[in-house]
Amino acid sequence: MKMYNKHTTFILLVIIGFACFGCAKQDDGSSAINTATVVDAKGDEMDMLLSDDFFDDDDSVSQNLYYDPLEPVNRIFFEFNDKLYYWLLNPVSNAYSSVVPLDIRYSIGNFVNNLSAPIRLVNNLLQWKVSDAGVVFSRFLINSTIGVFGFGDPAWVEFDLEPRPEDFGQTLGFWGVGEGLYLCLPVLGPSNVRDTVGFAADAYTHPMVYFVDDIWFSAGYYSVSRVNLLSLNPDVYEDLKKYSLDPYVSMRQVYLDYRRTKIKDTRSHVRSDNELSSELKK
Amino acid sequence: MNISRFYYLFFVLFFLCATPVLASQGPTEALKPTLQGMINVLADPGYAGKEKKELRREKIMTIVEKGFDFGEMSKLVLGRTWKKIDPQQRDHFEQLFTKLLENAYIGKLEGYSGQKIIYKAERIKGKKAAVSTVMKSPDAPPLPVNYVMIEASLGWQVYDINIEGVSLLRNYREQFKSILRKQKIDGLIKVLEEKNASFDAEGSK
Repeated sequence: MKMYNKHTTFILLVIIGFACFGCAKQDDGSSAINTATVVDAKGDEMDMLLSDDFFDDDDSVSQNLYYDPLEPVNRIFFEFNDKLYYWLLNPVSNAYSSVVPLDIRYSIGNFVNNLSAPIRLVNNLLQWKVSDAGVVFSRFLINSTIGVFGFGDPAWVEFDLEPRPEDFGQTLGFWGVGEGLYLCLPVLGPSNVRDTVGFAADAYTHPMVYFVDDIWFSAGYYSVSRVNLLSLNPDVYEDLKKYSLDPYVSMRQVYLDYRRTKIKDTRSHVRSDNELSSELKK
Repeated sequence: MNISRFYYLFFVLFFLCATPVLASQGPTEALKPTLQGMINVLADPGYAGKEKKELRREKIMTIVEKGFDFGEMSKLVLGRTWKKIDPQQRDHFEQLFTKLLENAYIGKLEGYSGQKIIYKAERIKGKKAAVSTVMKSPDAPPLPVNYVMIEASLGWQVYDINIEGVSLLRNYREQFKSILRKQKIDGLIKVLEEKNASFDAEGSK
């Protein structure tokens, strides 16, 4: 029954999506400059803030904010990731930061980001965000040329084109696919079934798989980009542990809240996707 | 000359008396003095340094307590459990939870310096309001921070902080729920006491 419902919703959305494509495209074309749309997007975000359920009388078992039947297993992987962080990732990142200057680490971050532009392009298009897809494309062109192979981000600095992060997990969410179980994956960190599928699918839109056919090279590339990201946001995981009474629950809630907000409203976000997912996936 | 002076005095007196009447100020106006007061204390060299931590925290908390509704926050964060515990436990919990927020929120702010807050938008819905701000610090990227407020007898007060959709209150509520399921209120109070003690231990280092 549940499956059927989701199916119907999905098909309905596809139909509505096609029907609205003409107008949606027009809307998107103007929204880049039209401030009224931006204000509206802001308004949606504000409404979301006000729609919390804290004041609801939750005697009738409060709404399920998460679905985590695998909690015992997830907690084991959480502990594993915790050890991985303190025994390996953190010391490596500290050593790396002491050798590689901050400017260069930012440049490496930009390069890694720029190379994954096809993922954002595809997923913006899959959500009919045509003007955002255009921004992704322009950013890629500008940063790959003037930004010297993506090591700089002149698109943002000079042309005021902010990143438009989208991934396949968000695309699935946009089309009404549910989150599924919450998962704490070894090495990769917090996720859920939908976002894990999204993560795997996005790997196929990353240009690297088409140029280098070597699993060790890919693993190395992933490790370097991960350590680089960590070196740019060093305190995030430690803060989470410091300020929480149950870090597993805290991280789960941060992940779910963050992803849900991204899916509901992706417009008014300024910080790049990688910045925050790096904070979360530790 | 004399008369203009008289008028000047009259106006000054008039506005001095008129200010308290304007107490029904909006959420953004209510939030501004709290955040600015906090930033001023953090920037004040008279309160800087580790040895002045206690004095500084005390000063900040007197400002924050006017702008934040810790009583409401404690009630909301416990949900159903709040109704089940007696007034003494409520007071004790509120004290511990306020201390935890002090350690977490102000402790984090102390790491920054020279922040500037930009007030972006405000939305009122009944007794609730949301104010979106961006915190700019010279040594960190801009951070969008949203304050969710409630209109109480003292005017608008903050009860939740929301950053990129992540709610502070919800985060603690879920953690407390998970602890309460296994250890009940006494267990939660013990965990809170231990957590607060860990900050004190860190501070004395």
